Amino acid sequence: MEHTEHLEHTEPPHNMKAQIWRTFWILFALTLVDIALYFMLLSTHSLMKNFLFVLLGVVKAYYIVAVFMHMKFERNWLSRLIIYPMVLVIYLVALMLIEGEFTALLR
Amino acid sequence: MSNTSTLATEKKFTWGGGKSPFSVSYGKLMMWIFLLSDAFTFSSLLTAYGFIRHSFPSSMANELIKPMQHLSENFVEEMQHSGLFSTAHWPLPELVFNHFPFIHGMHLPLFFVSLMTFILIFSSVTMVLAVEAGHRMAKKEVAFYMFLTILGGLGFLSCQAWEWTIFITEGASLHGNPFGPTAFAALFFIVTGFHGFHVFSGVMINVIIYLNVLKGTYEKRGHYEMVEKVGLYWHFVDLVWVFVFTFFYLI
Repeated sequence: MEHTEHLEHTEPPHNMKAQIWRTFWILFALTLVDIALYFMLLSTHSLMKNFLFVLLGVVKAYYIVAVFMHMKFERNWLSRLIIYPMVLVIYLVALMLIEGEFTALLR
Repeated sequence: MSNTSTLATEKKFTWGGGKSPFSVSYGKLMMWIFLLSDAFTFSSLLTAYGFIRHSFPSSMANELIKPMQHLSENFVEEMQHSGLFSTAHWPLPELVFNHFPFIHGMHLPLFFVSLMTFILIFSSVTMVLAVEAGHRMAKKEVAFYMFLTILGGLGFLSCQAWEWTIFITEGASLHGNPFGPTAFAALFFIVTGFHGFHVFSGVMINVIIYLNVLKGTYEKRGHYEMVEKVGLYWHFVDLVWVFVFTFFYLI
């Protein structure tokens, strides 16, 4: 009655649990940095501030995708399959933000 | 001439067939590609937000209210009079999203949404711990961690529902709000609503898989890959929140 399937997969590392908790504390610390920066830079409006927050977001995204979603331990081409299109999307986002500035001038 | 079969010495190449591409199963690869497409959808929404946000001038700086300061009953009217809330420019998120449950009349920008972020991050940790337990075929641990993940998801949804309720009772809707341009509230509802819908469907799927774990479906199958696939979806939801949080509240 028992039917066990064999699926292809990449083996997780032997210290996966340690890596998970380490990553949690990194994400926790990064979020605290986010909050601290927010209150420190509350009354400023600069491109640098925006860039800094987006950068923090990207760093957090790296840890979530690489460790929590296991990407670090998968085949390289799977990472590229996801990352390359997203780089193009980020380029599109940047272009649209610039277009937004031009539209502001038209209002 | 040796009699060994040529098949034994035939070189295998990656796309020659007989193996899973990228060494992942079909289901997992398809989940990744679905998440990529969903990332495009969220990117287009956040792009629209960025475009519309930047097509309005920014508000002047807030010199009036400091964090933890007492708020008057007519805070919104006062802000409108001072010109900080106006349809001519985008409002400062810190002046709009400054509530916390059970604490009345205090200016607490970012406090509540930080709590929501921590809840979601923690539920992501419990999810990946469930996946890790699944690799060891530890059924009871998988069930325990999935249960915590579901609780985290429900917690986040409750927080978001509360945030929406406050926002709506203050007068925000898809066609108007007292804080600034119509697009401000409309975009908030659309983007957080779409994300909240993903959290909701994620919780539903997690419940189904949790029940299957309890039933022993994956023990019989010999692997907990379904937990892993559902975990990918859950982490994606957390990832999107990181960017929604950044764009709507921090920038």
